Amino acid sequence: MRLALRFAGRELRSGVAGFRIFLACLALGVAAIAAAGSTAEAFRQGLASQAREILGGDLVFSIDQRRFTEAERAVFGALGPSAYSVRANAMAETPSGARRLVDVRGVAQTYPLVGVVQLEGADSLAQALAPSGGVPGAAVEQALLDRLNLSLGDTFTVGGATLRVGAVLISEPDRIGRGFALGPRVLTDVTTVEAAGLLGTGGLFGEAVRVVLPTEADPKAVIEEVRETFPDAVFEARDRSEAAAGAGRLIDQLEYFLGFIGLASLVAGGLGVGGAVSAYLEGRKASIATLKALGAEGVLIRNIYLIQIAVLALIGVAIGLAIGAVTPLIIGALAAEQLPVPALFAVYPEPLIRAGAFGLMAATAFSLWPLARARTTPPSSLFRKEMSGAPTLGLETALAGTAALGLAGLAILTAPSRWAAAGLIGGAAGAFLALSLLGLAAAWGSGKVRGLARGAVRLGLANLAGPRSAARTATPAIGLGVALLSAIVLIQSSLLAQVSVVAPRTAPSLVFTEIPGDRVAAFDTLIDQALNNPQTDRYSRLPLLTGRITRLKGQPVDIEAIDRGERWAFDEDLTLSALDSAPDNSKVTAGTWWTPDYVGPPLVAFEQDAAKGAGLKVGDTITLQVLGREIEAEIAVLREVDWGGFGANFGVILNSGTIAGASPRHVAIAMASREEEAAITQALAADFAGVNVISIRDQLEQAATLFDRLALAIRGAAAVAGLAGVLVLVGAIAAGARFRAREAATLKVLGGTRGQIVTAYLVEYGLVGVIAGLAGATLGAAGAWPVVTQVFNATWSVDWPVILGILGGTTGLGVIGGALAAFAALSRRPAAVLREAG
Amino acid sequence: MTTNPPLALEALTLSLPSVAGPVNILRGVDLTVAAGETVAVIGPSGSGKSSLISVAAGLETPTSGTVRLFGQDLGALDEDGRARLRRGRVGLVFQSFHLLPNMTARENVAAPLELAGRADAMAEAEAWLDKVGLGARHTHYPHQLSGGEQQRVALARALTVRPELLFADEPTGNLDAANGAMVADLMFDLLAEAGAALVLVTHDEALAARADRIVRMADGLIVPARTEVST
Repeated sequence: MRLALRFAGRELRSGVAGFRIFLACLALGVAAIAAAGSTAEAFRQGLASQAREILGGDLVFSIDQRRFTEAERAVFGALGPSAYSVRANAMAETPSGARRLVDVRGVAQTYPLVGVVQLEGADSLAQALAPSGGVPGAAVEQALLDRLNLSLGDTFTVGGATLRVGAVLISEPDRIGRGFALGPRVLTDVTTVEAAGLLGTGGLFGEAVRVVLPTEADPKAVIEEVRETFPDAVFEARDRSEAAAGAGRLIDQLEYFLGFIGLASLVAGGLGVGGAVSAYLEGRKASIATLKALGAEGVLIRNIYLIQIAVLALIGVAIGLAIGAVTPLIIGALAAEQLPVPALFAVYPEPLIRAGAFGLMAATAFSLWPLARARTTPPSSLFRKEMSGAPTLGLETALAGTAALGLAGLAILTAPSRWAAAGLIGGAAGAFLALSLLGLAAAWGSGKVRGLARGAVRLGLANLAGPRSAARTATPAIGLGVALLSAIVLIQSSLLAQVSVVAPRTAPSLVFTEIPGDRVAAFDTLIDQALNNPQTDRYSRLPLLTGRITRLKGQPVDIEAIDRGERWAFDEDLTLSALDSAPDNSKVTAGTWWTPDYVGPPLVAFEQDAAKGAGLKVGDTITLQVLGREIEAEIAVLREVDWGGFGANFGVILNSGTIAGASPRHVAIAMASREEEAAITQALAADFAGVNVISIRDQLEQAATLFDRLALAIRGAAAVAGLAGVLVLVGAIAAGARFRAREAATLKVLGGTRGQIVTAYLVEYGLVGVIAGLAGATLGAAGAWPVVTQVFNATWSVDWPVILGILGGTTGLGVIGGALAAFAALSRRPAAVLREAG
Repeated sequence: MTTNPPLALEALTLSLPSVAGPVNILRGVDLTVAAGETVAVIGPSGSGKSSLISVAAGLETPTSGTVRLFGQDLGALDEDGRARLRRGRVGLVFQSFHLLPNMTARENVAAPLELAGRADAMAEAEAWLDKVGLGARHTHYPHQLSGGEQQRVALARALTVRPELLFADEPTGNLDAANGAMVADLMFDLLAEAGAALVLVTHDEALAARADRIVRMADGLIVPARTEVST
């Protein structure tokens, strides 16, 4: 080994100029993975460092549709300092009649326990909420002020209360932990919200208490104790570790997605790595044969070049890690103020170690195969230049195969969802294989059709078919980048179209909540007039109940036995409804819907996927806790629910006889134009001021804006994979440069003009670009379609301008590659080239 | 007890595949080289001269026949075994020099000694470079040397191990007349000093005439010699 080290050191003395592509391909992929991991860790650490502020304390207990009992308050109060808050949705209305749904939050004077509420127009929250002229104050988000044309000091009503704009609400410390809001936020005193009548039975409201524990207390143990004190209570409890669980999951998913792009870049760039090693070893063939002639054994040859590859791989990985470690620091320096989530930008070892492991495994997987061939270079190649080594199943191929499996295994093990990751890895591997085969097929096909062409075109086709054809390496590398980019573009365009085009067409544009059960007829009349007698495909009203499934087939719910994706129906309260008969578009998949005159034991229509997840079928019974009592109902129907469509989109629907005598609130949905929306909102002010009007159009527009903002960033990240393909193309050009120069010199001697030679290269590389682009886009579409239609249940939509742009770009890339190859080939005088070759 | 000759070839054939069918390069060659004997192999291009050296030195496996180096049948050895056999006993000089481009002249000459595990490889290499007149070029890389200088380095590399047998394939083929003559003189002088046997492939009849024996090849066979020179 010392001899191998000595000989390897002498080889490396000549520098790494021939390995620029090797280093660039490796560094790019490692940098992408490291940057994604480091940035995600920065966000995780930021969330963790501010967990107390985000949660608003050490613990939070929250409950929906009721207030905490005195017994519960006593227990919470004994834990430590606490701050209560209530929350409801209601319509805010100005004296001029403008109305808007708002998220109202009433807080106690002890709020916030941790952190600071950021305001404009007041020095403190107490000042902002203090009454003025008998009118309580409120801190209001700028979005509401803009929408209702309000200013500081103006008054507006919410429910039965009049409020004064005491300050502009910039942010609350626990905003991230509270999740999504249906409207702009209004922060006021808890007694004001109580006085507004928003916390009554039937309305959607909630209460929460945040607690600060003594330093030595264990939050999880405290939660356990509280649960034991109230075993039947259904309140939710979270500690600091779950302060922003949703944000944490999003960070995990984003990290994996961006890391996957980096991994795809590494795989695509792996061809550049392998190509660079092949070219290097090809150039060393004479040296290898000479060493063998001098008495070197195969193992020594292997070790000499393995050491060199290892050193260069370490350099490439180190460069990538350095870039990846620095990238989040740059992001932090440039954009820290604009980030919606707190972040602690620093150098974190764990994501760098992971990225380094990926890089080394990729280098091993793609470098050792050409080494296996080089090791078997026969010494007789000193006499016969055309002879090359044949790959054998030795240590090199075993290590390469192990590294490839390790790469896939590590990618799956580090994923938030292993099955999804396995699918992604398998899909990418399959795409890579398909593209590699396509490259070979393109080379073969060119050889078959070249006889049909003449002149420079024929020469280009012959080059494409030849042993040094770029089709074999550049096609799969570029194609993989194009496939990834195309898949992302197609998924994004479909989802964006779903949100901005399809949903507005098919989903309700307005949702009305808190409709009093005893005034539904009058409400229907008002809507009829506003929408000019709408059919059921434009307006639908149903009772809205809240309940909880406590038993299945007579047994208590065992949540662990239910499929993870369907636990939503069984692990917490859910909204349900009751109908006389089957709604329009009921999509029954099993059983028979009850008739309007049905009288008998309670029946229920259940969403089919949730039923399947819990092992339920028609005829089984479920026990519901609803309207203050337990109801055992038999499953009469299983149905498919179109969650985004217009209709009775409830997972659980009882027969209306089950709730006879009750007068629950109702919810209604309507399809309305923007003008009709404004008119309805105004019309409801007089007689139905308590009815909340949720504009789905507004939500969809916000979602579309968010998508658009993310689109550029995500496409930019995906373009990294495309960049790897560019590097491979450049590597392929560089590897064949000497051969191309000899070829060009020979052609000139035979009478070829520069134009003809350039044309040949443009044909060859242009075709590589076209083939890679078309194949990549097709594979990208094949990968995107099931994600759009099966995972997101959205409508397939193609952003043709962008896809055509990608195809045009890939073709252009090939043409530029051809021009570069031609430039390199023609840059030297023929005599010098031919002298060298002789 | 009979000492094995350095080289013995029996009924040697070599066929290589090609698109147009197998090409018979050697068609039954018999040749024995005694210890210390110098043999020149001459013949037209394509007669199989270089292939003869390639097979005789164990760089290539014959299609049939036997190659014995120092009495050892090369057919019984794998590639690594043949490499080990060459170490320290066989020297090779090529028309294209085949110096290791990333090693200095000293390191090139030292390479076979290092492969043989010699601790004094560098010192010995320096001594041999001095012998061939390149004492001032120890640290120069091949691309910094002229053709004649490169071949002298190659000669030093081949002889530094004090081989029992030297193969030289057109050693002056890529050199001008002056350099060629210098290299030829050096080769025979150092060879005589080392007492090694020589198998020399050359087009140069004058160079061939300096050998103890001339062997003519044509069309893959050794043809009856027109003249032989005895020592």
